[in-house]
Amino acid sequence: MQEEKLRLEDLLGASASLDPKAGINTVAIIGAGVMGQGIGQTIAAYGFEVLVVEKDITNLEKSKVNLADGIDYEIKRWAMTNSDKKAILGRIKWQTDLKNIDEYDLIIEAVEEDFDLKVSVFKELDKLAKKEAIFVSNTSTLSLTKISEKTSRPDKMIGLHFLNPVPKIPLVEIVKCLYTSNETVEFVKDFVSKIGKTPVEVYEYPGFITTRSIVPLINEAMHILLEGVATAKDIDTAMKLGYNFQYGPLEMADMMGLDEVLTWMETLWKTLGEPRYRPNPMIRKLVRERKLGRKTGEGIFKYDEHGNKLL
Amino acid sequence: METNCSNYSQGKKLNQIWNEKMKVLVLNCGSSSIKYQFIDTETKTALAKGLVDRIGMTGAVLSHQRYDGDKIKIAGEILDHQIAIEYVLGVMLSKNHGVIDDKKDIEAVGHRVVHGGETFSGSVFITDEVVNALTDNIELAPLHNPPNIKGIQACQRILTNTPQCGVFDTAFHSHMPPKAYLYGIPFELYKKHKIRRYGFHGTSHLYVAHRAAEMMGKKIEELKIITAHLGNGCSMAAVDRGVSVDTTMGFTPLEGLLMGTRSGDLDPSLILYIMSKEGLTVSEAGTLLNKHSGLIGISGESSDMREILAAVKDKQKRSEFAFELFCYRIKKYVGSYAAAMGGLDALVFTGGIGENANEVREYVCKDMIFLGIDLDEFKNQNNEEIISKDNSKVKVLRIPTNEELVIAMDTARIVSEMKK
Repeated sequence: MQEEKLRLEDLLGASASLDPKAGINTVAIIGAGVMGQGIGQTIAAYGFEVLVVEKDITNLEKSKVNLADGIDYEIKRWAMTNSDKKAILGRIKWQTDLKNIDEYDLIIEAVEEDFDLKVSVFKELDKLAKKEAIFVSNTSTLSLTKISEKTSRPDKMIGLHFLNPVPKIPLVEIVKCLYTSNETVEFVKDFVSKIGKTPVEVYEYPGFITTRSIVPLINEAMHILLEGVATAKDIDTAMKLGYNFQYGPLEMADMMGLDEVLTWMETLWKTLGEPRYRPNPMIRKLVRERKLGRKTGEGIFKYDEHGNKLL
Repeated sequence: METNCSNYSQGKKLNQIWNEKMKVLVLNCGSSSIKYQFIDTETKTALAKGLVDRIGMTGAVLSHQRYDGDKIKIAGEILDHQIAIEYVLGVMLSKNHGVIDDKKDIEAVGHRVVHGGETFSGSVFITDEVVNALTDNIELAPLHNPPNIKGIQACQRILTNTPQCGVFDTAFHSHMPPKAYLYGIPFELYKKHKIRRYGFHGTSHLYVAHRAAEMMGKKIEELKIITAHLGNGCSMAAVDRGVSVDTTMGFTPLEGLLMGTRSGDLDPSLILYIMSKEGLTVSEAGTLLNKHSGLIGISGESSDMREILAAVKDKQKRSEFAFELFCYRIKKYVGSYAAAMGGLDALVFTGGIGENANEVREYVCKDMIFLGIDLDEFKNQNNEEIISKDNSKVKVLRIPTNEELVIAMDTARIVSEMKK
């Protein structure tokens, strides 16, 4: 057997035509939280090589384990296979620094929702990444335009709002900031279709489509509960059967995490000034009591240790 | 130019139909891989064969093997099918590992195309119109047809003057009567979405049915043959006087026999019931039926019949169920197809399991003397070609399939006819 590193040019001389086509081949993700991990899994599942950068080694290791456990759970319920797992894990590289970040075509930031933190990440990336690389932020509330102004490539800055759980939600909001070029939008739209998601384009604005629409619905359902009109279970049943929702609004809030939902409500209330976004007192109370929904075992409903709703 | 598969049912033997001498490159293009063989149709042997794997990903590699055993692996940045085919040509032309001196030595290219839909009832000389028609059939085989088309288009660019043919998995079954190909659902769905049974493994069923006739010294038009292609995917066909009149796979390769990881036939209501009980989405239910069912689903051990057989020897109950389910379903279809054809002259086993698992053949043929099937246990265990007793009314045959050869030979035939 010959040396595997032998290349076609070695056999044929320089005549072989090998001009690579432009396109996104390599993707880096900064931040290995729930979103970073979910985005990484989704992109790797569609055949892309992915680098996940997480500066905290403990979080990185935890994310690796969570990813493998999550896929194992899917295999157990026959939704994925062992070969899917092998392929996905095989395509994801993990590291704690930005070494070789200049090799990546698309860099997705998925760190905490903190303006200064995000700016510092992008400033650093701006220095190290190749000139053509596209910068993506997963922010759902912060101003992309303001972040982009801190870099030398605001035309290559774009938002991709993935929804949790990323591998299962077939939608991505593509967020254009003031400076995003049409080329960047087209490039990213093509990429989003290649990872099996349907893109919708939005302009930078608080809450985009999804968060802005769902927050008042959840808030209203909580008011109905608080005013004693119906039980939590009946509110959810009415919305599920009446409007063909997969989940009722209260169960959905528990799944999203009541602390998250409260943050969105406050941001929308502050930025848009409309009273309809003002958080219901009940959600404030539950968050104060650390009853944050499925992740803590109790929110509006109660859950067992596997996150199944207790009836 | 399209040739009808009834060409193969007019009393001609394969070597009368396939008598062209040509060197044909056979390509089987998948979504991220290309399998290829360079076949000399005169000697019916492969001069070279190989695989390009991980196309469009890092770590792409071409593994190439020459007729004399010379092997080589080439790593490279193989971003798409066109570059992959350039690599294949590159290695075939190379001084040390090659088999040709000039691209012109490839006299024709034969493509395996999975789905011909209702448009193609036989192999076809590829023109732009054909490529357009194939594109129209993408919905029927969304995983398979797009890479097949990519391979064809890449060859049109790289091997500009080399004639190309498409040989379809579905074509051999395209003469099934409506009673065999229609489903019992509103007829409008057939008209609207082309929902009907198509069948697959056509090249294999065609080849082994004809080989069976040759081995029996008879014309194919005198025979009623059941062919069982048992490999990774499994299907059977009722070949009545050279024409496939029914087959077990349907709209997709999921219907019919139990397979390594596929369920085969089941009550359609089950899918809806499982989806609601287990909270599965449409695509997850697809994964359940295509990847977690069949031998692996029942046994919990393996999708590989060799491992199932080993587990059966160890008396593992679930593997015994898997083995029996697998064989029992084949046995039922033998009875069903004999009834459909009004008789039976030969039963053919082919594919990895069909050719090698004598236990499967034994189970299928047991207690079938009432149908004229009388298996010779000794011949069966020795994996001989004819495994029925000399006086068995129905001949039971074990025939290695060769789908690449079918593609090469049919390509050579069509290209020669075009030149005449």
